[in-house]
Amino acid sequence: MELQQLRETAAAHFKADGFPTTKDERWRFTDVSRVANTEFSTEWKASNLKFKPLGDYYLVFENGKLSSEKSKIDGLPAGVKVGSIMDHLDPRLGQLSDSQSAFVAANTAGFTDGAFIEIADGVSLDSPIHLIYLADLDGAAFHVRNFISAGKASHVTVIEEYIGQPNTSYWSNAVTELFCADHSNVDHYKIQLESATAFHFQTVEAQLGENVLFSNHSFTLGAALGRNDIRGKLLGEGSEAICNGLYLLKDKQHFDTHLFMDHAVPRCNSHELYKGILDEKARAVFCGRILVQQDAQQTDAVQSNRNLLLSRGVKIHSLPQLEIYADDVKCTHGATVGELDEEALYYLQTRGIDPKQGHAMLTYAFANEVLDEVKSSAVKEYVGRLVQDWLE
Amino acid sequence: MALLDIKNLHANVAGNKILKGINLTINPGEVHAIMGPNGSGKSTLANVLAGNEIYEKTQGKIQFDGADLDDLAAHERARAGLFLAFQYPVEIAGISNMYFLKAAVNAVREHRGEEQLDAMDFLDLIEDKKQVVKIRDDLLGRAVNSGFSGGEKKRNEIFQMAMLEPKLGILDETDSGLDIDALRIVSDGVNALRTPDRSFLVITHYQRLLDYIVPDFVHVMVSGEIVKSGGKELALELENDGYASWAGEEGV
Ligand SMILES: Nc1ncnc2c1ncn2[C@@H]1O[C@H](COP(=O)(O)OP(=O)(O)OP(=O)(O)O)[C@@H](O)[C@H]1O
Ligand SMILES: [Mg+2]
Repeated sequence: MELQQLRETAAAHFKADGFPTTKDERWRFTDVSRVANTEFSTEWKASNLKFKPLGDYYLVFENGKLSSEKSKIDGLPAGVKVGSIMDHLDPRLGQLSDSQSAFVAANTAGFTDGAFIEIADGVSLDSPIHLIYLADLDGAAFHVRNFISAGKASHVTVIEEYIGQPNTSYWSNAVTELFCADHSNVDHYKIQLESATAFHFQTVEAQLGENVLFSNHSFTLGAALGRNDIRGKLLGEGSEAICNGLYLLKDKQHFDTHLFMDHAVPRCNSHELYKGILDEKARAVFCGRILVQQDAQQTDAVQSNRNLLLSRGVKIHSLPQLEIYADDVKCTHGATVGELDEEALYYLQTRGIDPKQGHAMLTYAFANEVLDEVKSSAVKEYVGRLVQDWLE
Repeated sequence: MALLDIKNLHANVAGNKILKGINLTINPGEVHAIMGPNGSGKSTLANVLAGNEIYEKTQGKIQFDGADLDDLAAHERARAGLFLAFQYPVEIAGISNMYFLKAAVNAVREHRGEEQLDAMDFLDLIEDKKQVVKIRDDLLGRAVNSGFSGGEKKRNEIFQMAMLEPKLGILDETDSGLDIDALRIVSDGVNALRTPDRSFLVITHYQRLLDYIVPDFVHVMVSGEIVKSGGKELALELENDGYASWAGEEGV
């Protein structure tokens, strides 16, 4: 489909359906009327925000627009294309299954920029590609669209990082489409540090061929209101998808994570570990849906959502949804909500560690289980520090 | 001056009276043993001393190294030199033993007005203290007590004691769970930590431990009271006669 046609179809969907309400089952616990009722401007300015690259190659988006001056992509090996999506429209763009959701439709109709990454068959990239989205424009809406294609037996690590200027209010509405061809190895990270007064929504959809190793790690610290929709489609046998995440929420932050793992073929594994730490009046929603289709025999799917509550004022809705139509499968899920272990705190105290430090150590330890799974040492170190800072 | 002076200590847990008027004085360098039937209140005493807030002190006075323990929270007692080796050490997932020890050692050092140890000095200290109870390297890299065997946990407690160099070490049934060789190694470790100033309160059910760690005094606790005190020969007597002569209303 031509882009113009895609946009028109999406705009028509959006016009017809509008934003979801809490009457919609998938949005029962997340009220987006604050987004729906805000007029966003279409002004643009360059950004003053600082950033620190986590790899040799990076694209910097200033308030939704790629800045070639601030980006660095020279020295990329042959077979790797990195640039603006506006210069590289792939015919597969917009084929994602969730195209009718309001946020995806709004993005498709209006995206103005985004990253395009294409790795040719057999090419391995040692350094991560870091996509940095800077937001410091009050009242604006940013619709960025990313497209990542990993060729057969290719290797790539992509880090998306959303950074917002404190106290600015804006709407960041991103969509990332990933295509992972047979035998590829793709690690995708998302670090969300939007302003605590911003709205952040993103849909990530990954399509996996045969024998793919795919991982997605989402670290959520920012935004007043937001949601991640993370969708994995296992379309080839022998693949493994890991979707892990950590959300650290305080004040009145509300963050919703909707995972959807679609096992369409036999012998795939999916592992999902989501941990949340909630303080003050924070709200979290976690919905983990695993669909095992009739053909998807010998599926191994594990999901766990664990939450640590640091205050009595927080609320969490954790909703696992297993839909299993095959008979020879292994599926487990579990959700827990707990407080810090008083006995452990006492034990630390008897070794001279004061309660404040003990608290921080135990909270960090809780988060650490997710960090332990992170393969990229740059991400692990960086997010480790973000977690430490958050705890202070 | 006594290092620890307990006068008429009464304590409750979950609304039940457990300790009913304990008097105990430990001078610098002394080793005291407490024996007594299950449920008599030995661990309760240890935890009241360590500052566990679920135990409620209702009467009495505890002086430690010149300070009133009422004025000190658990971490301040630890920094002041009181160490409890737990009967049931707690497992803490996600915090490595090394990281935990470094935080503990530096907290105690800060209190003593000593410099913080950097990574190198800390490793040197580990290498040094590791010999005391012959702790295995792989245990140090693992999360605190996580998946440790019963004996490994006990050994790790004494290792921590060696690292923190307290004035008073309270050993709550450190011998239970140790095999015969480990018992000897851990006892040797404790003996190596004995100095003219450092004192120990050793809680145990078995005379055997006291063959290795020879006490100056033995006390018998029954139903929250110390019913008899004596020299090391008292432990032998108990080994032969049990606690029958003190069987009280609880029918021990
Ligand atoms: N946290 C608690 N909650 C309720 N009861 C408790 C608690 N801790 C101790 N107790 C009770 O207090 C009494 C004394 O327990 P304590 O652990 O001090 O005994 P002990 O002498 O150490 O026994 P053992 O030799 O079996 O270790 C017991 O009856 C026990 O059940
Ligand atoms: Mg006990």
